[in-house]
Amino acid sequence: MNLRSILSVGPTLWGIGIFLVILGGSAPWIPGFLLTLVTGLLIWATLAYSLNLITGLVGYVSFGHVVFMAFGGYALAFGVGALNLHPVVGVALGAAVGLALALGIGLVTLRFRGVYFAIATLVIAVAALYIVLDIEELGDGKGIILNPAVEPLSVFYTILVTLAIEVGVTYAITHGRIGYGIRSIKGDEDAANTLGINAARIKLFVYALSGLFAGAAGGVYAWNVSGAFPYSSFSLTFSLQMLAMIVIGGMGTLLGPLIGTVAVYLPSQVFLTIPLLSGLQFIVIGLVVIIIALFVPGGIVGTLRKYIPEFRGMLE
Amino acid sequence: MADAALFLSDLALGVLLGCVFAVIAHGLNLIWGVAKVVNVAHGEFIMLGAYGAYFLNLWFGFNPLLSIPFDAAIGLGVGVLFYFGFLHRELRGKESMDLQSEMVTLVSTFGLSLVLINTAQKLWTPDNVGIPWSPGYVVFGPVQLPLGGLYVAIVSVSIIALSHVFLSKTYLGNAIRAHSQDIPAAQLVGINPTITASIGTAVGFGITMVGGALLTVWLPTGIFPAMGNLYAPISFVIVVLGGPGKMWGSLVGGLTLGVIINVGQLFLGNNLSLAEAAAFLILIPVLLLRPEGILR
Repeated sequence: MNLRSILSVGPTLWGIGIFLVILGGSAPWIPGFLLTLVTGLLIWATLAYSLNLITGLVGYVSFGHVVFMAFGGYALAFGVGALNLHPVVGVALGAAVGLALALGIGLVTLRFRGVYFAIATLVIAVAALYIVLDIEELGDGKGIILNPAVEPLSVFYTILVTLAIEVGVTYAITHGRIGYGIRSIKGDEDAANTLGINAARIKLFVYALSGLFAGAAGGVYAWNVSGAFPYSSFSLTFSLQMLAMIVIGGMGTLLGPLIGTVAVYLPSQVFLTIPLLSGLQFIVIGLVVIIIALFVPGGIVGTLRKYIPEFRGMLE
Repeated sequence: MADAALFLSDLALGVLLGCVFAVIAHGLNLIWGVAKVVNVAHGEFIMLGAYGAYFLNLWFGFNPLLSIPFDAAIGLGVGVLFYFGFLHRELRGKESMDLQSEMVTLVSTFGLSLVLINTAQKLWTPDNVGIPWSPGYVVFGPVQLPLGGLYVAIVSVSIIALSHVFLSKTYLGNAIRAHSQDIPAAQLVGINPTITASIGTAVGFGITMVGGALLTVWLPTGIFPAMGNLYAPISFVIVVLGGPGKMWGSLVGGLTLGVIINVGQLFLGNNLSLAEAAAFLILIPVLLLRPEGILR
């Protein structure tokens, strides 16, 4: 990539980049509670972008994405707790575990389409919990508790860099040669195959990337909460919330997952602080998901793109 | 080595458990077969059925078997609402489900499941409740079986047999089957697609909620708003194992799962969690080798 092509990446990538740089530059002065909030937001955004790769771009709805996140978290907890690694190395380990797992799971499950893929991933996530409950090295059902000496800033910068790389990768694969392949698979996989596109390989590649970033995000999550615990790490709520975020923001777009994360995460946090409303956030999210799925298929970003033609070039 | 008596009694318990698994998956099977729609909120309707039985027991002292007609009636109504709320827009005027509509129904019913779980948690608290009903045991040689589970198994198998008779012997059932095979051809012989699909969905929901009521017999303290997160994956596995739209498929899938969980424990060193993992993962080889399900 030469300088000109880097400069001409379009306003969305510029916007997200500037947003992340400003966030990173001002982090040391952000008060503690706000930094925790922003770190949470970035972890969720990383997860949303990772699900967006396989579900938004390729069109394979995955209900079991939590499995990469959970094993990423366990990898960090095991690496830091048992092997005394630095947490950042632990996050890299989490990413590697996510990648390896996605390659393995994808090799089998990506043969199934539509509902069958969704169910196969869901079932693997449920089964993974039962298997982890039985592994002694991973806490034997009780989980791994780490020493909670977390410096919030290093957690923050790790997830910021991860998210920045992830957004860049998303942009690169949608705008490169492989992007044509991805779009044609989403449109009609059989037609893509007859055109000589190696759909199986492209799907596996995207799924592996998706697992890598989900594993990294899971590692940062475990670092942030100082441990990995089976029932909370493998909670299907994670998969569901990721899915809600990209549905609301707009599946398969570059900006959608970020918008969706902000739209889901911030209101949920507000709901959580008000005792009377706590617990209601998922009802509201669920209603919004139903309405968007049935009546506004593009989500926020897709709708903007549809009704305001001027945005079309900018939102790529 | 596990002795024969233990094996026999685990096998018998597995069969009983498999029957109740079969009936909770059966409603999903019907909806999947008729409307070609996978209801992600299936587990939540099982939960509603279970709470229906719980409240009937709390208020009127009904045992779970007596609550069946009430749950079925509620389920039929809910099913019609569900059809017109969620499916009608996607199915109307289409000859078959495309991948796009499939995604819409997956995501919208997923939203519904979020709403139902969390509304139930607000209304009834996240705590476990249960129905104290235990009619005793019956002893066959070395095997001791809970009578409640036995009744439930008999009712479950009857429901599946009745639905088979309904689909293959009645006019309406034939119309539903015709609709699920070829919508334009069904319309040509005078079948109204909206009416047949909505009735099929309603029957599916009725059976789902009855399944929830029957399940409570096995759960002395296991009724809680998020219980669907366990029983929905079980139902998905059962339906795929048996083959969507095949009425006896639910029974085959249910028995497979029930026996694997109960007998598997015996061979995996009394390890329930590994047995459950095995029961779920059996789906993957079946999907790879026989994507149309175990039954032909």
